[in-house]
Amino acid sequence: MAADATSSSLQSEPRRRIVLGEADISDFGEGEGQDLPTEVMPLRMGPSHPAMHGTVRMVLEVEGEKIKTADIQIGYLHRCFEKEAENATWTQIFPYTDRLNYVSPMLNNVGYAIAVEKLMGIDGKIPERAQYIRVIVGEISRITDHLTCLGAGAMELGSFTVFFYLIKSREWLWELLEEVSGARLTHSYVRIGGVVADLPAGWPARLREVLAKARVALADADKLLTRNKIFRDRMDGVGIINRADAAGWGLTGPVARSTGLAYDVRKDHPYLVYDQLDFDVPVGSTGDNFDRYAVRLEEIFQSMRILEQALTKIPDGPVIVDDARVALPAKRETYNTIEAMIAHFKLVMDGLHVPAGEVYSFTEGGNGELGFYIVSNGTGQPWKCRVRPPCFANVAILSKVLPGLFIADVVPTFGMINMIGGECDR
Amino acid sequence: MGEGGKRTMAKIILDRLNERFAGGDLLETGSQHGNEWARVAPEAWRAVAEFLRDDPQSRMDMFVDLTCVDRLPRQPRFDVVLHLYSLEKKHRVRLYAGVQDKDPTIASLVPVWPGANWFEREAYDMYGVRFDGHPDLRRILMYPEFQGYPLRKDYPKEKRQPLLRRLPGSV
Amino acid sequence: MAIEPPPLPETVTVVIDGQAHNFRKGTNLLEACQSVGAKIPFFCYHPGLSAPAICRQCLVEIKGAPKPVPSCYTTVADKMEVSTNSPKVLDVRRQMLEFTLLNHPIDCPICDKAGECSLQRHYFDWDGKLARNEGDKVRKAKVVDIGKHIVLDQERCILCSRCIRVCDEVAKSPDLTMAYRGSHQILTTAPGQRLDNPYSLNTVDVCPVGALTSKDFRFSRRAWELFSSPSVCPGCATGCNIEVHTSRGTIRRLVPRLNPAVNKYWMCDEGRFEYKAVHENRLLLPMVGGKRAILNQATADAARLLRSGLERAQGSVGVVFSAAATNEDTHALVRLALDGLKIGRVYSGGRPPGWSDAILVSADKNPNTAAVQRMVTGTPRTLIDLASDVASGAVTTLLVLGNETLALAAGKLAALIVLASHKGALVDAAHVVLPVATWAEVDGTFTNKDGRVQRIHPAVPVTGEVVPAWRALSLLGSELGANLAFASAGEVFAEAASRYPFMKEVAWGPPSPPVQLRFGDSRG
Repeated sequence: MAADATSSSLQSEPRRRIVLGEADISDFGEGEGQDLPTEVMPLRMGPSHPAMHGTVRMVLEVEGEKIKTADIQIGYLHRCFEKEAENATWTQIFPYTDRLNYVSPMLNNVGYAIAVEKLMGIDGKIPERAQYIRVIVGEISRITDHLTCLGAGAMELGSFTVFFYLIKSREWLWELLEEVSGARLTHSYVRIGGVVADLPAGWPARLREVLAKARVALADADKLLTRNKIFRDRMDGVGIINRADAAGWGLTGPVARSTGLAYDVRKDHPYLVYDQLDFDVPVGSTGDNFDRYAVRLEEIFQSMRILEQALTKIPDGPVIVDDARVALPAKRETYNTIEAMIAHFKLVMDGLHVPAGEVYSFTEGGNGELGFYIVSNGTGQPWKCRVRPPCFANVAILSKVLPGLFIADVVPTFGMINMIGGECDR
Repeated sequence: MGEGGKRTMAKIILDRLNERFAGGDLLETGSQHGNEWARVAPEAWRAVAEFLRDDPQSRMDMFVDLTCVDRLPRQPRFDVVLHLYSLEKKHRVRLYAGVQDKDPTIASLVPVWPGANWFEREAYDMYGVRFDGHPDLRRILMYPEFQGYPLRKDYPKEKRQPLLRRLPGSV
Repeated sequence: MAIEPPPLPETVTVVIDGQAHNFRKGTNLLEACQSVGAKIPFFCYHPGLSAPAICRQCLVEIKGAPKPVPSCYTTVADKMEVSTNSPKVLDVRRQMLEFTLLNHPIDCPICDKAGECSLQRHYFDWDGKLARNEGDKVRKAKVVDIGKHIVLDQERCILCSRCIRVCDEVAKSPDLTMAYRGSHQILTTAPGQRLDNPYSLNTVDVCPVGALTSKDFRFSRRAWELFSSPSVCPGCATGCNIEVHTSRGTIRRLVPRLNPAVNKYWMCDEGRFEYKAVHENRLLLPMVGGKRAILNQATADAARLLRSGLERAQGSVGVVFSAAATNEDTHALVRLALDGLKIGRVYSGGRPPGWSDAILVSADKNPNTAAVQRMVTGTPRTLIDLASDVASGAVTTLLVLGNETLALAAGKLAALIVLASHKGALVDAAHVVLPVATWAEVDGTFTNKDGRVQRIHPAVPVTGEVVPAWRALSLLGSELGANLAFASAGEVFAEAASRYPFMKEVAWGPPSPPVQLRFGDSRG
C-alpha cells in the first residue's frame, strides 16, 4: 500500500509496506488493512439483467462485496390489470388472469373463477368433473411453476444440464396443456361455472406417461444438485428468513413453508376437491435458499401424487353449470333456438349478472396465497378486481434479507424467492 | 367444503371488536359470502390493528392485504381495506376505514406489521391515499414522474402522460 | 237529507312481498311495486299510454284472487297483499316468456334492437331455460315498408299493441291495427293505408322488440356502442327534452326524454332529424375576405371593422340576433352589442314559421325566440326590414349571429361580420366569418314558448376551430374594450340569471357527460 499523501484517512507514517500482487491476504497481521480506503458503492442490478427474473431493479449499496442496503424497485411489468378489469366483462378478465403468474396460469384462472362464483352464489353448484379438472390442470401448472424456478435457479449457479432436464419436463407438460386449452401458456381455460371444454380423449393416459418421464428427469436433477458441494455451499445458510418474520411480512407459499411455517391453503382451507385428496405439505426448517429449493422439489412430487389420485377419482359428467345465465349455451342451441341466442347475446355483450357485493377468495398459487378481492356493483363489469399477489410480499422481505449477503448471493436468493414479474407488478 | 366451521370461528373477532371498540370507533360489522368484516373510524385505524394483533382471542398475526376502493360518488370517497389472518386460529377478517376525498390520509400500519410497507406504497401510488408514519412513502409500481393516481375512478384509462425528456447528465 | 258517505282514504296500505307500504290512492299496482324495488317485467304497459293487459307478463299473485292478476291493470286497494316473487309467480312469468318466444325469429345478430331489447332483458332476468319446442316457427312478412320512416318485421312483433296505442292516443291518428288471430295475428295497417302521422317514430321507441325500426337509424350503429347525452330539441319552440345518442363523435339519433311538463315521453318526427344538420355543411374555420384565417386575426379584423363603422356613423351599425342561439349566446351578444357598443339598429332572425298542431309541434321553428324577446329591450325588427335597410343604405355595418340565408344586397355593406355554424350565401358574402358551435356541442340553456328554461349538454366535441358563440363574442368584446371576459358557459348563465327575471329561479345544474348505454340501465 503506497503512502498517498493526498488521502487524509491514512496515517502519515506507514507502519509496514505491503505491495499488492506480491503479497497475500494472509500476510496481513492482526488489525492491519482495516484502514484501507473504502467507500460505499452504489450498484444497480437490473432491470435488464440476465439473472433478474422478470424485470426488476435492485439498487444496492455495497461495501466491497457485501451489501449494505438494498432497495428493490418493481413495477417494470405493470400492465394495469386492475384498470383493465374495471372496463371488461367478467369473462373477458380471464385472459388477463393468465398473464398474472404466467408460469402457472391455470392457478390464476381457477382462483379468479372461484372468487366470482362465490359472489354469484353458485360455488356449490360447480359440477364435480369440472372441479377435478380444475385441480388437475392447476397442479400441472404448479409443477411447471416449480420446474421453471428450480431450473432457472440452477442455471444461474452454473448448472445448465439441470436447467435443460427440468425445462424438457416443463415442455412435455405444456404440450398437454396445449392439447386441453389450445395454448402453451395463455390458456384462458377456466370459466365462471366450470371449464370451457372437456379433456380430450386419451389425455389422462398421456398425462400419466409424462409424469413418469418427468419423475426420471427430476430424479436426475436431484442427483445432480441436492448433494452437490458447490450447490450446497452457495445455497446453505444464505438468504435466511426467520419464521418469526414470516407472518408479519405476509409471506406465504414455499417461501414461508421453508421457514417452518406450515400454512398451505389447500390443507388449511380446502377448496374444490382438495379435501378428498391425500397429499403432504413439505415444510423446511432454516429458511435459507436450500430449504426453498428442497420444499419446491418435494412439492413437485406431492403434486404428482395429487394428479395420480385425481386421474383415478375423476367422475364423468358435465364440465360447466347448466344455467344459460352463467355458461354459454351449446352452439347447436345458439344457432337454432331464440332462447339460447338471447342467452349467448346477453352473456357476451352485457356480461354475467353478478349481484352487488364483495368477497375475498384465496387459493394456493404457485408462490403462495393468491387472493382475489372483488367488488361488484351488480353490473356486467367489476367495480374493483384486486389481486393479492403472493410474491409481492415475498419480494418485499428481500430488503431485509439481502443486507449482509454478498453480491453473488443475490442471484440464488432472488431465484429461490421466485418473483414472477407478471404477478408482482400486475 | 369445510368453510362452515371457519365461519363461526371468525365471528369471535367481530365480538371482540364490539366489546373493545363499541360506541364511536366501530361503525358497522357484517358477514357476507363467508367473509367477516368490520368498518372502523379512520382515527382508530392503528389502535384497532394493534388490538387485533395482540388480543389473545383474535391473534391476527399475519398481514394479508391492504388496498383501497374508490367508491365515487359516495362520500367518504376512499375505503382503505385491510385483510388479516391468524395462523394460530385460522380465521380472517376484513377491515374498512372511510377516508375523505380532499387530502386523504390515514395512519400507517408499518409499525404493527412490517409487511404493510409495500402494500401501503401501492395504495398511495394507485389512489393517492397518504399513510402517516410510513418510513418511505413513494411510488412503487409507477415511475416517479407519473402524474395523477391511476386507479381512481375519474382517471380515464386512455389518459396520456407528459413526455419525459432525459436531461443531459441525469442517470 | 242524504247521508254523506265517509271520505275515502287518501293513502292505502299494501303489503308487497311481506313488507307493508303506503301508496296514494289510485296508484297503479305495477308502478307501486317498481317503486319499492319489487321488479316486475312487462311488455304492453307503458306509463304514458293506456294499459290493456294484453301481454300478461306482469302477472302477480294477490291474496284472495282466484288466479294471477295483471298488475298493470290493477289499482292499489287498501289491505291488498301482493306477492311478486313467489314460486308460482316466477313460474307464470317464465311460462309467459316461453310463450312469447315460441315463434320469435332468431334475429338477434341482425336485429336493430339487440342490446336495448326488452325481450332479451326479461328473458335473461326471469327465464333462463332453453327451448322445449321443436319444429318450425310461424312465418310472417319480414321487411314491410309500412310508412315514410318505419319498417315493420311482423315475425318479431310480440303483439303488445303499444304502437297502436301511440298512434291512437298520442298522434290521434289511428293508423295501425292487429289483423287475424292466434299464432297468425299480425300488426298491419288497413289495406292501402300507411303509417304516416307526424309522430310515427315514437312507435319505434316504445316497441319492446325490433319489430318496428327506423329507416334512418337501422343498421347504422349497435345500441351498446352509443353514448347518451341529455339535451333539448332545437326544432321548434316547444323544447321537447331529448337524449342525443352518439358514437365516435357523431350523432346517430335523437330520442325523447321524459319530461311530464313539456313533452311527456314523446317527440315529433321532424325534430328527430335535427341532428343531421350538426354534421352537414359545417363552417369549421374562421375566414377573412373569403380566405382562411386564424381566430385571433379574424377577431381583430372584425373588431377593426366594427370600430370604424361605429366611428363613421353610430346609427348605421346593425346587429342581428338569432332565435336559434342559446340564452348564453344571446346574453353575450346583448352585453357586447347593446350594452357595450350601444348599437341602435336591432334585428332578430331565425327560421321562418311553419306548421303546427295541438299535440307538440309549434309554428315557431326556433328553440329560443322567448329569450330574444325577453333579453332585448324594445322590439327587434325583422329580416325583411333588414333587407330593405341594407338596400336603402341605412345600414352599412352589420354584425350577424346565426345562419341566416337571406338575400341581402351584401355588396352595399361596408362591413359584414357573421358568426355562423353552417356555410351559406351570407357567409360567402361576409368580410369576416367566425365559426361557432351548434346546440349539440355546447353547454347552455334554451327558453321554450312557455318561458321554461331548459338545460342542454354537449353531446359531441367541437371539430375544426369552432368555438361557442359566447366565447367568440367575448374575444370580440375584449378586442373592442367591452368588459366581456367569460371563462365558461356557466358564468354567462350566472350573469344572465342575475339580470333577467325569467331566468332567476333556474338552476344551472351539474354537468352531464355522455353515458354509455351498454352497462347502465339499458333502454328496452
